[in-house]
Amino acid sequence: MTPSRVVDGLLLPAPYLALLKPGEAVVDELGNTHFLPRFFYEIDSWDAAKKLRLSEHFTLAELMAVDCREAPLLLESFPHYVPCAVSILACYLELFRQRVEAPVFVSVNGGYRSPAHQINQCASPHNWAAAADIYRIGDTYLGNQKEIDRYGGMARMLASELFAKPFGGGKGETDDHLHLDIGYVSHAPRGQSEAR
Amino acid sequence: MASTLLDELQAVFSGAGFTAVAVAFYDYESELHFSYQGDRFFHAASTMKVAVLLAIFKAAEEGKLKLEDRLHVRNRFTSIVDGGVFRIDPSRDGDTEVYRWLGRAMTIAELARVMITRSSNLATNILFDYLGIDLVRRILEEADLDGIKIQRGVEDEAAFHLGLNNEVNADGLLRLFRLFCNVHYLAEKSRAGVLEILFAQEYNSMIPARLPARAKVAHKTGEISTICHDAGIVFLPQRKPYVLAILTEAPASVENRQRVVSSISEIIYRRLAGSKGESA
Repeated sequence: MTPSRVVDGLLLPAPYLALLKPGEAVVDELGNTHFLPRFFYEIDSWDAAKKLRLSEHFTLAELMAVDCREAPLLLESFPHYVPCAVSILACYLELFRQRVEAPVFVSVNGGYRSPAHQINQCASPHNWAAAADIYRIGDTYLGNQKEIDRYGGMARMLASELFAKPFGGGKGETDDHLHLDIGYVSHAPRGQSEAR
Repeated sequence: MASTLLDELQAVFSGAGFTAVAVAFYDYESELHFSYQGDRFFHAASTMKVAVLLAIFKAAEEGKLKLEDRLHVRNRFTSIVDGGVFRIDPSRDGDTEVYRWLGRAMTIAELARVMITRSSNLATNILFDYLGIDLVRRILEEADLDGIKIQRGVEDEAAFHLGLNNEVNADGLLRLFRLFCNVHYLAEKSRAGVLEILFAQEYNSMIPARLPARAKVAHKTGEISTICHDAGIVFLPQRKPYVLAILTEAPASVENRQRVVSSISEIIYRRLAGSKGESA
């Protein structure tokens, strides 16, 4: 199930435009340029996000939970705006959950975070709602190489477009969670026009 | 009075194997101020968490954060020495509850509370990372707390081995706790919030241990292998409070360090409040 209301980010009020930067060019950690997502689901409340299942086992709330490092406007007031790719991400997470045969837990700040979130060092698929930081699978916390290698390998076997960061403390690596993403995916739902 | 008190204090810790002891107190009832080795710096151990608590409430008053703000609970920090990653070892932490929240979020108020009441190292570093050292230092400087030197969070072993530690002296901790008695420094609601957390301290084997049950103590201990400190505010019925800081340093082999600190606290209590017929 997907949220019922889709908005064109370019038509949002100026304060949201300044933070979400729909369609703007940004640079990732490799120096590549991408255009931020333009179409967003509009979410009226936390209750609605908690009730809305994007897939059998993943609610929208789990994939949009952020801490106070998010821009206050996007954190404290509703509606919230989440890029439409979040529903595609949920499908891949559901496949991953089926593969590992255990509940998969995405951390706070580990799903969608806006380009204005303070922990961003550069553009990442998190800003497209196309990435998930998984800190726990079943009762296993992913805090060591063995578990990150094991589950990362399982994710890579699922689909060639599913990327898992390798274990490590350096750039492009993780050592206390499993980062999965499907790249810089923008989703224009049916009924939306990309003509400016 | 001071020389006699000093004799009595020295009788407690002389020959006990301590390499250093410092004691400072201020009594709001008698306005008596006492300081022995008050400017001698010690490794702060967990007493540095009171400085973080102060910074949280001051930053909240400045509008830089809200106590109900939520922070991601993550056990991953970087050393001030080389940026290397380190984690808090749960087996060396006074609290295990925060670890149950890994991956999720806790409010700043919740983290601040467990940082003090159970001396959570994980909560301390999460809060310290969020506040940033510049904010903490600026608030300490503006409060004229030159007896509190903060360089980093806790459990940064690389920094420890290079001698880059947080340091406090007894006079500095005394001034820090006196801020919580100063109606002009923090707003009443903030002051009440700070004291409520300090009153809920769960480690009570030092300053409060030999005081009468009617004494309410808002305090924070600090202990590592060679360090055993306690500092706080003692509230007694029908008199103004007194503030004290007791700092000790001893080889790890020295036993009964907590007992010595509690004995010093008892002596100060008797000197200040015992003359009114109150005894421990």
